[in-house]
Parts: sequence; C-alpha cells; structure tokens
Amino acid sequence: MQHIVTTIIDDLSTVIFGKQQQIKLALACLFSEGHLLIEDLPGMGKTTLSHALAAVLGLSYQRIQFTSDLLPADIIGTNIFNNKEHSFSFHKGPIFSQVVLADEINRAGPKTQSALLEAMEEHQVTVDGDKYPLPTPFFVIATQNPLYQAGTYPLPESQLDRFLMRISLGFPPKDAEKRLLLNNQKRDYSQLPQRIEQHQLKQIQDAISNITLSSPVVDYIIELVTYTREPQTLTTSLSPRASMALAKSAKAWAYIEGRDYVLPEDVQAVFSSVCQHRLGLHSDAGDTQIAAILKHVLVPV
Amino acid sequence: MNEIKNHRVINFALSFIYLGLVSFFTEHLPLPFIAMLSVLCGWNIYLTVKQKQKPNAWFANGLAAIALIIMLSSIGFKDTVVLFVAMLLLSCVFKLLQAKSKQHYQLIITLTFFSLSAVYLFSQTIFTTLVISTFYILNFAVLGLLESSHSLKLSSKQSAKIMLLAFPLAVILLLFLPKLPAFWQLPGPKMAQTGLSEQVDPFDIAKLSNSDELVFRAKFNGTPPPTPYYWRAIVHDEFDGAAWKTSSFLKQALILPAKKSTSENEAQYTVIAEPAISDWLYGLGFSSSESPNVIANTLGLLRKQQYKSKVLQYAVNSEPLSSTSLNKSQQRFYSQLTVSNNQKSQQLAQQLKNNSANADEFFNQLLSYFSKNEFSYTLTPTPMRGENTLDQFMFTNKRGFCGHYASAAAFIFRSAGIPARVVSGYLGGELNKNSDYMTIRQYDAHAWVEVYTGAGWKIFDATAVVAPERLNGSLSQSTTLNDEFKNNINFGLVSLSNYAAINWLRLELENLDYQWSSWVLGFDKDKQQDLFATLFGNKFIWLVPLGVIIILILSFTTYFIYLNRPKAATKQPPLVNEYYEIIRWANKHAISYPENATPTQTLEHISNQAPHAEQQLTAFCELFKQVRYARHPFTKERKNQAKDLIKLIKSTKQRNL
Repeated sequence: MQHIVTTIIDDLSTVIFGKQQQIKLALACLFSEGHLLIEDLPGMGKTTLSHALAAVLGLSYQRIQFTSDLLPADIIGTNIFNNKEHSFSFHKGPIFSQVVLADEINRAGPKTQSALLEAMEEHQVTVDGDKYPLPTPFFVIATQNPLYQAGTYPLPESQLDRFLMRISLGFPPKDAEKRLLLNNQKRDYSQLPQRIEQHQLKQIQDAISNITLSSPVVDYIIELVTYTREPQTLTTSLSPRASMALAKSAKAWAYIEGRDYVLPEDVQAVFSSVCQHRLGLHSDAGDTQIAAILKHVLVPV
Repeated sequence: MNEIKNHRVINFALSFIYLGLVSFFTEHLPLPFIAMLSVLCGWNIYLTVKQKQKPNAWFANGLAAIALIIMLSSIGFKDTVVLFVAMLLLSCVFKLLQAKSKQHYQLIITLTFFSLSAVYLFSQTIFTTLVISTFYILNFAVLGLLESSHSLKLSSKQSAKIMLLAFPLAVILLLFLPKLPAFWQLPGPKMAQTGLSEQVDPFDIAKLSNSDELVFRAKFNGTPPPTPYYWRAIVHDEFDGAAWKTSSFLKQALILPAKKSTSENEAQYTVIAEPAISDWLYGLGFSSSESPNVIANTLGLLRKQQYKSKVLQYAVNSEPLSSTSLNKSQQRFYSQLTVSNNQKSQQLAQQLKNNSANADEFFNQLLSYFSKNEFSYTLTPTPMRGENTLDQFMFTNKRGFCGHYASAAAFIFRSAGIPARVVSGYLGGELNKNSDYMTIRQYDAHAWVEVYTGAGWKIFDATAVVAPERLNGSLSQSTTLNDEFKNNINFGLVSLSNYAAINWLRLELENLDYQWSSWVLGFDKDKQQDLFATLFGNKFIWLVPLGVIIILILSFTTYFIYLNRPKAATKQPPLVNEYYEIIRWANKHAISYPENATPTQTLEHISNQAPHAEQQLTAFCELFKQVRYARHPFTKERKNQAKDLIKLIKSTKQRNL
C-alpha cells in the first residue's frame, strides 16, 4: 500500500511544485476521512491542488463556485414538480458526489455555508422532510480567501470545527516558481492518472485506524490541548473533538511516513493544520502562536 | 553520605539512654566498668553540647582496646552472660562515640533495642519495666528523627502513640500465645550476691547482708501462722572441720519425693520466687507443694523441677517440724561427727551434757550459755582463720552472725551425741499490711540449727537470745542493729525507712511490684491453661493455641504481602529511567540538545554530538521507539539490550566524544 501513497505524492508534486509538506497534509486529511479547508490568496494553486487530489484518488467530483448569491438549493438540489406524474421529484444538486470542491466558500452567505456544513457533518441532506444519503466516501475540499479580502463572509468557529484540517499553501520557493514558468506544457490536472481504487482507499483508511497510538503520545496530545484550555493563554481553547482530530491526523501522518505507530513528531507535524483554525487564529499570524504552544508544552518521555 | 538534620538531638538522646541503662547494671557489673561507660557517655554528651568533633577512628580504636582490657580484667570469663551484656553495652557506647552517618545511627538504634532488653536478664520489676518502656519510646523517637527534621517532642509523641497501639497486641500475645517450653536457654546470670550457699562456712565471709534484692514473696491464705518465720531452703548435715555441708547421702534423699501429708496443723500460702541460679525454694517448717514445677522431698524442703530464669509461683502447705520423727539409724546419722578439732567446744559440750538430764535440758543450757557469756550479734565480724575456728568464736571473739552461732551450736549438739543439723534459709521478712504478704530480701538470709530432742525437730537459734529483735521481722525493722544494717546496705529506699512518708511510699511501691509479679510475671503455662479453660471450655482447649498460632501466621503473612505488593503507581514505564540516564550522561559531558524536542529528537541530537557512542545511541533510540511508541513488549532480551547499550554509552570516554 505504501508505494501507492508515494506515487500519489509524486504525481501531485508534478502539479504543485515544492509543496510536498502541504500535499502530504492534504492526503493525511483525506485518508483520515476528514474535510479539508485550503486557505490562501487567489492564484496560489488552491483550486489546482483540490482538483488534482480528486483526480488522483479517482473519485467522482463536482466543483461548486461559491458566490454571494448562491442559494442552498443550488448546492443540495430541490424538489421539482413533474407534470407527467403530477408529483414532486427530487433533483439532486452538485453535492451528491464523492468529492465536492467548494471554491471560495467564504464568499457565499451564511445560509448557504450552513447548508454545506450540515451535509459535511451528517453525510446526508434533508429536503422537505425527506432524507437523501450522500455517497461514500464523501469529502469536501473547500478553498477560501483570507478574511481581509473584500466580499467575504467568515465561517463561524462551530463550522470551522467541521474541517479536520486547514492548510495554506504559501508562496512557492524560487526554484519551484522558476520551474513553473519554464514549464511550457499546460498544466492539466484532469489528465492525471487515477492511482488508487476505492477498495484500496478503504484499506488505507482501515490501516490508519489500526495504527498504534501509545500512551506517551496520548499524554502529549492531552498536554497540548490542556495548555490551550488554561485561562489567559488563548481566546479559544481546543475541544475534545479537536484532540480526537489531532490523534486521527497524527495516525494518518504516521502512515504516510511509513510507520505503524505514532511518534510525538507526527503530532507536532499535524498540530498546526488541525488546530490553527479551531483556535481562531489566522493562517499568517497564527504560525508563531502555534510554534509558541509547541515550544512551551514539553514532550512527555 | 547522608546528612542528618537532628544530629545533636539524636546523639544526646542515645547517650542519655545508655547512661540510664548503665545505672541498671550497677549491681551486676563491676564498678570500674560502670564508671568507664558513664564517662564515655558523659564525654559524648559534652562533645554534643559543645558541638565539638567526635574523636577520629585511630584514637577511638585505641581507646576501645583499653576499654576492652578493663572490661575483661574486671569481669573475667566466668559469667558469660554478664560478659556478653558488657560487650554489647561497650560496643554500642563506642559506636555512638564514632557515629557520623545515618547508617551508623541506624545500627546503634537497632542494638539499643537489644541493650534495653538485656536489662530483663537481671531485673523484671515494674519499675524496670516502666523505665525501659520509656527508653523504648525514646529510642523509637530517635529512629524517627533519623529520617525527618521534626522536633524530639513531636517524634516522641508519635513514638508513644505507636507503643500505646502495640500495647493491646502485647496483652493479647501474653494471654493467648501458647507458652511453650524453651528449646534452648541462656545460662542465667549469677544472681545471688549474698544469702545462701551450698555450704555454711561463716568464717571466710567478712561482710554479709548488704543486698536488699528481693528473694521471694509469700502470701498466706487466711491468718498467718505465729512468728518467727523460718523459711527453710537448705539442710547441711556434714561438718568437715570448718564448714557445714550437705552430704552426698542427704543429696540423694533430697531427690526423693515426699509422702502426702494430711495434718490439720497446716499453714497454707503462696510463694512467688524471683529468678535465681539456684534450684532450692523456700517454705516454712515441713513443706509440701502440689504445684507442677516444684518437688517436695522427705526433708520437707522444696526444689525447682527444672532450672528457669524467671519468676516462679507455687502454693505450699506447711506443717510444724515437730510432727516428724526419726528412727535409730537416722538419729545416728544426724549425730555423727567425723572430725576431732575444736577441743574446747567439745569439752563445753561434755560439761553441759553432764549437767543436764536429757536433750531438752541440754538445749536450754546451751541457750542460756549463749545469753550469759556476752555473745553479741554483728554484721561485720572479725575474720577468723586457722584450725579451730569454732573455738576462736566460742571463747575468744564471741562476735558473729547467724552462721557462726549455727555452726558452733550444731557442732556442740553433735559433740554431745544429740542429732542436729544446720539449716539455711531466710528469717522473717517484711509484712506489707495493705496486701497482707511478706517480702523476703537477701539481707534476711539466716542460718540456724534444728535439733532432734526425741519429739520431733526443734529449732535452736542462738541469735534469738543474742539479738532477739532479729526474730520478729526483717533486719530493717530491728532497732539495735538498724544503724549497723544501714551502714551495710547499699543506698536504697530501705535505708530511708525511718521517714514515715518514704516508708509508706516504699511499701506502696512494693505492693505494686507484688501485683506485677503475681499477675504479669507469674502468668505461666498453668495460669494460661486455666484462662483458656474458663474462656473456651475444656473440650477444645487444644484448639486455642493452634488457632492463635494460625491467626498470627496468617495476619503476619498478609501484612508482609501487603507491604511487598507491586506499587504500580510509582513505577516508571519501561526505558524511561534508562532514557533519563542518557540525559544525565549527556548533561555530564556538556552535550546540548533543544529543550522542547521530543525524546527521539533529543536522542538524535545527542548521538550527532557523540560520534563514538552514535551507534549505541541510535540503537537505543530505535529500541525506545519500539517499546515506548510501537508498544512492542518489553521482553527480557530488550531489557538486557537496553542495559548493555546504557553500559556502552556510559563507558564512552570524554576525550572520545
């Protein structure tokens, strides 16, 4: 199984240059059945990464471009009156696919945002009292612009919490950008070969849930979340859902690293992505604060 | 080296305990040795108070060698028990003089428990018990102080609490722990200082009755018989020219058990005898006893069935001596005289015999001879040597104590052909009116003559006419001899008996000690059996000791297991201690590593900076990951591997880093 993971990472690296860490984080998020939020300035490759992920994983996907006038029905679908049968029939929206690419999610209004977020949590949608299950696996890969950009509706904390990870790509290193400019070929992520079958994805997910999480690592996670809960350290503290997310992501990271047990280093690797948005920190200023937490909390032996 | 916080207090308290202990041994250990121990304790206290350095090892060892010589020369090798006790005391006092570390003090405190218990070899009175218990509390308190910085007061309180908690347990053990016969016994220390001996040779004793040590107590059932009380212990029937002895023939007779007597004239009483090395016991007149540890013989004397170094309590029936009769051969036996010295005394006997018609008249004539010829009683007689010591006493000195009078009188009786024998024992005793019992001490030791005048044995006691006060009670109560007696006796409460209050106090204390002896020390196998029988009935009496033993074993085993239970809470998980060992090693060799790194990162940092130990450190890191994070079992091989790696890492030299 391990070679598949390596191949996927290599493939994605041909699309997003010099961002191996972020690619691995994104993969870890999807492998642990979590939704991914990518936050960055426009033009940094957010959409490219999300499309490439869906393509490599070989999942059916829909892209929804969020705008301020987008309505919940545009995502979920709606009941339409069928003249022939004299009844309403449900017309499925774009959310009924394995991967939903929610582009610029914070440009839609709160009502539309919540419609999507309910689907993320429940893995089903409810229209006029009828429940419609969503396909499995179901991932939401959302992108958002930084909040200071014009025309954005910030996601509330409760909804940010639904995303397992928030990653930001950041500017590419110089040589990566040079390669990007020298590359004459049109970057077509839709042409990326499918590298993984659905049953293999399932196997990977099972393997990840079986990864050993030993008590010193659990202690470390608890130390970390307890530290954020102390008064006057931070405005928001980490919930038990956050610590569960941390454990899950650390396992996935360990799997990607080719180990069957979790090290404290794995926790440290995913800590920023898993916890930054839950702590109400912005991606740029938050990094220093996350580093401070990691520095302050000693790793138990 | 363990620093002790209460160094001075501990030192002071232990020295104090040993000073107190030494005072208990003043009567049993020679004076030079006692003085030496006291000086050593005092020196230690002086050093402690003045906060001076303790003597160094060389000096102390030299001193110890000298002390050893003093000890051996003053005690000798005869009495091993006393010698061992002296050695124990000496070694403890010297160790205390050198003690510096916690281990030293622990050793001394442990030995002190033995030293304290050794006092019971010599004295078991309630006073001793109280003082020794106090010292026990103090010793426990000092033990507590070793580990803490509490004050002595607080520590003593805790220690007293522990002792009080242990008290019910002690009572239960005393009452219910089966009293088994001893498999092995220490030879008892030699008890009697004066008093009785196997032979009466008064002429080589210059000083007598200087001990107020308790010999036995007697309690009469009903009204006490009329005074005087002659407590018989030994019969001497053979005169060798100087001393009266017990002949081998009589010794055999002593073993023969007596027939049961059924006289109506009996006095009934109970005797509580103090531990003594000898095997004779005490009774009035012709005594018999049915107590299991006592043998009564045909002479009406009592003996211990087996030697025991503890208090013995027994019931006695006594009938007057006059009820016994002798046949012809027995009369011949008691009137034989194998020596022919002391001619003057023999002439006196002939002269008196000629003047008297029968034995009774001779008896009275001899008595009046003693009363008319200016004989006097003294506790400090002039020593007499040579062949005819009896003649010297009878016709030259005329001063002496009971032994002189008895020897001389018995010799004169036999010279006249009248059966006579010297008996030694105790005369009188002090009646404690509150509890109605007699206290007989060593200074009550006495010797007298028993004469067979045809109608039973009669007591002939020349002391009765020379110093009649001596008959009616203890030496301490007789007035004429009082001053001489007090000069003679060691300082004690008895010597202050002129003051009413002190005398009252003395009698009260003795009463308390009597109760102690009869209820606690005298609680023997038979009394325990009686207790079991009343508590549990006779049917299953054998179950009680068995049950007690089983309960004791079970409870101690449970407690032991409880103490040794695995302590999961405090135990470190595997390899954590080893990890910290590496961290300490790195700190020692000034190897730096980031403060907030994970253990594996830390190990990597360290291994990067220690190229010669890199291989081992990497291996350990891998092992650490396996055991700590991958939860692989911490098998014996892994344990040994970790041990080896740590050893290898630690053996890496500084210059190789």
